[in-house]
Amino acid sequence: MTVSRRLAKPFLRALGVLLGAETVTFAAYHLLPGDPAEVSLGVPNPSAELVATTRHEMGLDRPLAVQYVVFLGRLLRGDLGTSYQLHEPVTRVLREQVWATVTLAVAALAIAFAVSVPLAVATAGRRPAMRGLSSGGELLLTSSPSFWIGILLLSLFSFRLGWFPVISGTSVRGLVLPAVTLAVSIIGVLTQVLRDGLERALDEPFTVSARARGTGETMVRLRHGLRHALIPLLTVSGWILGALLGGTVVVETVFSRQGLGRIAATAITSRDLPTVTGVVLVSALVFCVLNLVIDVLYRVVDPRLRTATA
Amino acid sequence: MVSTQLVTGTAARRRRRWSRVRRDRWGRRAPAGLAALLVLVGLLASGCGGNDAPTAAASPRSGGTLTFAAETEPGCLDPGYDPLNVTALIDRNIFDSLVYQAPDLSFHPWLAERWTTSPDRRTYTFTLRKGVTFHDGAPLTADAVRATLDHAVAPATKSLYAGSLLRTYQGADIVNPTTVAVRLARPDASILQALSTPFLGIQSPRALTRPTTQQCVHPVGSGPFSFVSWTKTQRLALRRNAAYTWGPNAPGARPGAAYLDGITVSFIKEDAARLGALTSGQVNAIAQVPPVSARTVRGNGLRLLTDQAPGGVFTLYLNTTRGPLTDLRVRRALQRGVDFTALTTSVYFGQYARAWSALSPTTAAYDRALENSWRPDPALAGRLLDEAGWTGRDGQGYRTRDGQQLRIFLPYPAQFLREQRDVLYQGIQASARKLGIHLDVVGQDSGTYTRAVATRTADIVAVSTQRAEPDILRLLFGSAEVLSKGGYNVLGLRDPTLDRQLDEAAASSDGTVRRRDYAAVQARVIDQAYAIPIYVPTYLLGTSTRVHGLSFSASGDPVLTGAWLSG
Repeated sequence: MTVSRRLAKPFLRALGVLLGAETVTFAAYHLLPGDPAEVSLGVPNPSAELVATTRHEMGLDRPLAVQYVVFLGRLLRGDLGTSYQLHEPVTRVLREQVWATVTLAVAALAIAFAVSVPLAVATAGRRPAMRGLSSGGELLLTSSPSFWIGILLLSLFSFRLGWFPVISGTSVRGLVLPAVTLAVSIIGVLTQVLRDGLERALDEPFTVSARARGTGETMVRLRHGLRHALIPLLTVSGWILGALLGGTVVVETVFSRQGLGRIAATAITSRDLPTVTGVVLVSALVFCVLNLVIDVLYRVVDPRLRTATA
Repeated sequence: MVSTQLVTGTAARRRRRWSRVRRDRWGRRAPAGLAALLVLVGLLASGCGGNDAPTAAASPRSGGTLTFAAETEPGCLDPGYDPLNVTALIDRNIFDSLVYQAPDLSFHPWLAERWTTSPDRRTYTFTLRKGVTFHDGAPLTADAVRATLDHAVAPATKSLYAGSLLRTYQGADIVNPTTVAVRLARPDASILQALSTPFLGIQSPRALTRPTTQQCVHPVGSGPFSFVSWTKTQRLALRRNAAYTWGPNAPGARPGAAYLDGITVSFIKEDAARLGALTSGQVNAIAQVPPVSARTVRGNGLRLLTDQAPGGVFTLYLNTTRGPLTDLRVRRALQRGVDFTALTTSVYFGQYARAWSALSPTTAAYDRALENSWRPDPALAGRLLDEAGWTGRDGQGYRTRDGQQLRIFLPYPAQFLREQRDVLYQGIQASARKLGIHLDVVGQDSGTYTRAVATRTADIVAVSTQRAEPDILRLLFGSAEVLSKGGYNVLGLRDPTLDRQLDEAAASSDGTVRRRDYAAVQARVIDQAYAIPIYVPTYLLGTSTRVHGLSFSASGDPVLTGAWLSG
């Protein structure tokens, strides 16, 4: 296989994903009940002329097929249009919001990793009591609504102790609480997945032989077990990161943060198609890229995959 | 010529004749749908009700930046476009109006030094104050006034509120650089009030030539504060206009430059976070303290300023055109079978007053006689339902007639739910169940909800409206004021008696006739159970004890321009 053909395949696949995501967006937009023009105006009883002008501007007075072609044509040209609600070009809106989302997502995942990895390594295959305690805690964390955790953290660390600001803004200090809130729910999932993988690896014959060679337990876990357990962890992390990069409405709202999630939520309720399209495009792209990256990482982690495709 | 000071105000609270209707938007961040209409807004200043006594303040002190946390964010700062209350609150600092309406509802000169009205009351001639400059350096001239008004009504502006204030506007003639004549299609007593709102604040004519998106993100007026920056979803900053000397010399206003160096408005949507920001001292004042937290605010040594919104209280409007509620006995059973007072007190922690009339107590012509005149009487409700033929019972215990369940459909737009109305609905639902009525409460997306209202499949529409004028009753109950005509009689009530009384009241300039007619309307609405008023929407503004000089405008927005911070 030539290099260009190897690159073409994932590229085409990504294009298909983007096209599919945008088509679903377009269809959902038109299937939702209510007149998008009326809903997007956002006043209880807009005048008939205002609705008519808006319908025309939104192109809603044309046949659906034509609207779809125009919609795709604009996308292909990279023209995301102007947000109906924010009165700004969608590309600028995305540019303003995306950085806040990226920093939050990466920070949350980093915190989650920092806690999950040691926790899983320490508890995998250990005595049932210790393991049970840990996995019970993880379950609790995962099932706690982030809204509640966020308010709890705010109450203690912001309202009472004043360590962190209520409005998190773009400062590093403001990033701490929202990132921790998000990390809390991720920690449970990551630890469970990692411990599961570790326990499976620790049952493998190669672990037995490593132990037979006299390798210490910690070394066995870190050098032999962890590497094997990383594959499922990577898969889950990729998915989590993708979801986080699409925006986290609840945490953004609780902490009054900028971010794609709030923008998308507002855009959906106000039928702001250009903004929704833009956010969907970014999310779909992120997933495609992450998929590629994860694929590459699989090969880095697991030499068997390298030889298999070579 | 008619003299200028049109209204005055003894007992002005009872006589708000110039008015405005403002509703929440329902498609957009911020206030809400037909059902969520405006509750957020409101109030009239002039300290009625439970304002905490200001601590003995020393003399005002200049300097400092006031931080104010709002619960919603403007979509656009062009006052000619955006309809939100938060936009009015912010734009009031940036824009001056031709005339000023004091909290007692009297009108005073502002950018217009004086004005005269033609004998046919169709032309208002304003003489502008000299020496006023906009933040971009342009001087105030008649051009600016004409450009501002034309901008509000221009189709290209797609105004969501300001344009509707100028329904009677025909055009403006420039008599000379400091005199402008505003022509109306017909006499319109509400025009001065309209011109006094921030929505028709005078904009720099130079700024109005910029592209629309620029008007939205960089407003230019002549007010005591100028616009500095706006980070979407985060904060908005204003800076003191040191050159300002043209404020209204009237109650509730400040003629000279502001005390504050600046104002920062943060947008904190989440109630608990906004409250925490206030209690921890991270902001000086917050909009919309949730009723459940009113005691927390007071208990923390903070101040709570409250006032009741004028206009139509939060009311269940009943569908008289189809379904079980066409029967007066069923409507009355619902009206008398539920203890709305107990529900209001428990859901809103005693912060919102129980409403007995469709009109708010702070509106002129409010009929006090209705108070406590229709107390709950479940036994009566049961008898009425029996009489109406709903005597059977189904498996779930609901009443039936000819095999049909007594089901009443109450949809609401879930996205725009506010003031815990869902909890209120649950309470009503539980009480209705005891009567054997199946109150079907359904939260819907705004598209579905709009359709349920427009097609009148809803049996109940729950709404509050704001307007400091009893004529709101005509918009709510007049048979001509249906949704398609821009009115609020969305369920199509037709009652010739009400129409006659409403029209007579609207046409009359005799206060006694108007009061009599409006009282009759309010009484008939209750007697015929066309509507069930529940509570009086009330604005709760929380501030720290450092903040002084905050007040409310005649139209009900917190006014920050006169504020100052003690050390």
